[in-house]
Amino acid sequence: MSDHKTDNKPDKTAAGKAETTPPNTVTLTIDGREVTVPPNTNVLEAAQSIGIEISHFCYHPGLSIAACCRQCLVKVDKMPKLQPSCQLIASDGMVVHIADPDATLARQQMLEFTLLNHPVDCPICDKAGECTLQRFYFDHDNAPSRLDVAKVRKPKVVDLGPHIVLDAERCILCTRCIRVCDEVAGEHQLEMRYRSDREELGTAPGAVLDNPYSINTVDVCPVGALTAKDFRFTMRAWELMATPSVCNGCATGCNIEIHHKNERAWRLIPRHNPDVNQYWMCDEGRFTYRALRDNRLAGPVIDGLPASWDRALGVAADKLKAALDGDKSKLGVILSAQHSNEDNFVLSKLARDIWQLGKIYLGGKAPVPERADDKLRDADVNPNTAGVKAVARAAGYTLGDKSALERDLTGGTLSALLVLGNDIELSDEALTALAGLDALIVIASSEDRIARRTDVTLPCAMWAESHGTITNRQGRVQRMHAAFPPPGQAMPAWEIINRLGQACDVALGYTHPRTIFKELCGAVDAFKDAEWGKPVRPLQLRFAGSRG
Amino acid sequence: MASRQTKPVDEVPRIEVLDESDRNPGVRTVRVIRPEPQNASFFPATLKGLGVTLKHFTKNFFRSRPKGNTDIETLDYPAIPRSGEAFGDVRPDPETRPERFPDYYPDRFRGLHRLMKRDDGRVRCVACMCCPTVCPANCITIIPAETEDASVEKYPAVFEIDELRCVVCGLCVEACPCDAIRMDTGMHAPPVEERGQAIWTKDKMLETKPVHRKRDATSIATQGGVGPDWRDTE
Repeated sequence: MSDHKTDNKPDKTAAGKAETTPPNTVTLTIDGREVTVPPNTNVLEAAQSIGIEISHFCYHPGLSIAACCRQCLVKVDKMPKLQPSCQLIASDGMVVHIADPDATLARQQMLEFTLLNHPVDCPICDKAGECTLQRFYFDHDNAPSRLDVAKVRKPKVVDLGPHIVLDAERCILCTRCIRVCDEVAGEHQLEMRYRSDREELGTAPGAVLDNPYSINTVDVCPVGALTAKDFRFTMRAWELMATPSVCNGCATGCNIEIHHKNERAWRLIPRHNPDVNQYWMCDEGRFTYRALRDNRLAGPVIDGLPASWDRALGVAADKLKAALDGDKSKLGVILSAQHSNEDNFVLSKLARDIWQLGKIYLGGKAPVPERADDKLRDADVNPNTAGVKAVARAAGYTLGDKSALERDLTGGTLSALLVLGNDIELSDEALTALAGLDALIVIASSEDRIARRTDVTLPCAMWAESHGTITNRQGRVQRMHAAFPPPGQAMPAWEIINRLGQACDVALGYTHPRTIFKELCGAVDAFKDAEWGKPVRPLQLRFAGSRG
Repeated sequence: MASRQTKPVDEVPRIEVLDESDRNPGVRTVRVIRPEPQNASFFPATLKGLGVTLKHFTKNFFRSRPKGNTDIETLDYPAIPRSGEAFGDVRPDPETRPERFPDYYPDRFRGLHRLMKRDDGRVRCVACMCCPTVCPANCITIIPAETEDASVEKYPAVFEIDELRCVVCGLCVEACPCDAIRMDTGMHAPPVEERGQAIWTKDKMLETKPVHRKRDATSIATQGGVGPDWRDTE
């Protein structure tokens, strides 16, 4: 086996060409079928590559191998005993039997053993519907318990930390959660204690499960032993719809799935992307869905009073026209690092290419240096700083930062502002100056911060409600899909800017973010190779099979 | 009508074009010219049909129940309960008449829902959401909540059934893993003046009693974990 060890990673383009087998591969036989895989692949993954799933609990592609659940036993020719396929590295000429009667019986009995003291309280277990144990039980055993003595009882509803609750009875001792804490978060906070059937999970002495990646333990838990307090008992897994998107919590841009129902997001789950976030995301990012339903603006507002779209756009256009007819240099525009590339591109085009404005600033949340680590969390809590900067660079102007904006506001060199997004934290002086502007038009999603002081507030959709792309800190352009419509009369920001331009006698003529994206790809170098991707229909988790 | 095809062509209906639209090609004003009725007398058939009607009318009018031998199978519900085979043998008797559950309803009749209680009087339901999942009419609303009691954990903070929407299929009863919901009240959905009144709440369904005499109010299903914690036994 060591002969074949190379540090070449599996190359997708090479794998596509079946005829020319590169020398650095291993060929083995699984259930009579020849499989060619890269070296250092284990048998379980090799079987997965031809669509055969070997049941497993403790194996997780993103974690180290423990081989403690013994659920993936297979028979291998010339090996005296059954082998755990997750730990067995595939080698040339290996002949593996998965469907062999001995191996099948071993897995079935192993499953019965795992289930021996499991409480089978699926009705109240939050994992039901996405539980690996449930699925393998139906696949393998599907027989009633033969246990004729009382089950071993263990603690229930154990508070492990700020986000996690443990039900030790449901735990099948796979140690995935321990490895997540050790290997992903880098903090040893969970441990097994006691022995044999009384073995149970708990926090390590003196530790609390409070690392910033703690909810990943819930995702990897194959049963309902670990549940997130945030999602616990709110929804059953099978009721939800899943739409792929990108986390807007920080500049990392972890790939996520929005799990939603009734036009409301209920949880965010990491989506596998080997180049960005592997299988993980941080706890803070998971809670960003709450902003989608807090203090949302459902209709346009003029001077603090609700108004119709026509009137709001008319008033805003009048104010903008007045500012444009007067001293053009006193009209400023703020782009938003919280909004998609499309939204910013349309506003940038209107402000720079058409109105020829000089004062364009970059808005967004202030950086949080203490949250940065070398894993996924970034100090920049704006998802699209790189994208907005790329748009500005391609259009040939420099964005003013927050201090420049504050200086211009307090210095009186601004009399009108068109703002995208409401996530700007300004100093008190600047806020007072903001209130004294002739015109303040804000395209905002929620009614906090500067959206309270405006002349006209136009309600816009948030990231989960509109299609678009954002650029993360690596410069990757990632696509977000709209999971549900925005609240009330709110609409996507690009559409608001489009209509605002129309009201100011500028025909931008965009009808779909895809057309904006195409134009963006041609205009901005950083987007040259980006793809819009196919439309995605929300996946109903009821039909998604198990994901444990 | 079968002989129509053998008739000369000029006897089938034809149309005369009166006007043709300029703006909408193909739109015309026409008059349909039908052939003269060859055999216009429909009276014999009409009289024959009226005769059948008259026969049934006299039969049912003069030979009505309780003598029997009529074609009317409508029961004077709820005045006359059905008993045995003969429909007309039983007169309404205020003494023996079942109050709410007429005995011509079968044992497995599905009435309005009720919720079962635990031994200590709390609701049996654990808010597993199986019934709203299976409900074809989407009439069940459950909002789960967490209890302090670790042996119960989850209970329905809100459990509502819109009895106007309910199609009385009984799938919720079949789906329930805890025997928490039953449809053995024998009650029909009462008439309501507002839609909101037809939404049955948790408290209302917990108070509702089973009307069927043979049924008990308690469930024989066991609930919760079995046996003590191993720490307690040592």
